[in-house]
Amino acid sequence: MTQPGEFTYRRVHRASPELLFDCMTQPEHLTRFWGPDGTTTPLDGITVDLRPGGVFETVMVNVADGSQYAMHAVYLAVERPSRLAWAEPDAEGGMVTTITFADLGDGRTEVVTHQANVPAAYATPEGQAGFQTSLRRFDEYVSGLPLN
Amino acid sequence: MTVTAEDELSLTFAALADPTRRAILTRLSAGEATVNQLAEPFALTQQAISKHVKVLEGARLISRSRAAQARPCRIEPAGFEVVADWIDGHRQLWQERYDRLDRHLAELAAGPAEASGGHTEPGGAAQ
Repeated sequence: MTQPGEFTYRRVHRASPELLFDCMTQPEHLTRFWGPDGTTTPLDGITVDLRPGGVFETVMVNVADGSQYAMHAVYLAVERPSRLAWAEPDAEGGMVTTITFADLGDGRTEVVTHQANVPAAYATPEGQAGFQTSLRRFDEYVSGLPLN
Repeated sequence: MTVTAEDELSLTFAALADPTRRAILTRLSAGEATVNQLAEPFALTQQAISKHVKVLEGARLISRSRAAQARPCRIEPAGFEVVADWIDGHRQLWQERYDRLDRHLAELAAGPAEASGGHTEPGGAAQ
């Protein structure tokens, strides 16, 4: 059951899990599709340090007025090609995004995106010492969440 | 989304994060109830229930009548729209993102000649 403050979005794409995982994690791919309609995501604004604890940052630029929206995230899970998760401690009080890639065996892949708002108290650990512990806790929290 | 909306969202999600408070909302969705009535099905004191009710009230998910002394609680549907708007906004973002990803995949499948500037060297595609 989806709880309030979470949502799940499912899509089937005609591509392998490996290619889809790479699209989601390589700046050269991300720059082509990441921003919502009406925005661009310049390559030089994308940072990907693809490991648990590594940063994932993008800057989305509004085409109409040039205004910018920066996303600051930290990877929680990097398991090519099946699973990817990151946390955005400063987005909407704390946000965790988990994406799973399931091979349908016919050249298609089901991509399930799950987002959960996580209270800021969990998302902004005090000091570097507690950071890794918090990330593990985050990861456990996310893996314990029902997917629909 | 404005800062104010985000603050309200945090308050709402924090209020909804607790299973007892969600159970209280489920009970209230069937109709008004006093704190005494809400406490009945739970192994909690009336005082503990009152604390949960205050949190829900603060998040504007419920309101309490001032007309009667027992001050019955009722659901405030408008409070839930904050959650619905959040979900709608994110669903739309991901829908557009994956639509664009599909177009990107189609260009990749068509080959580098069809992709408009897609296969430049790193750093070459953005100014």
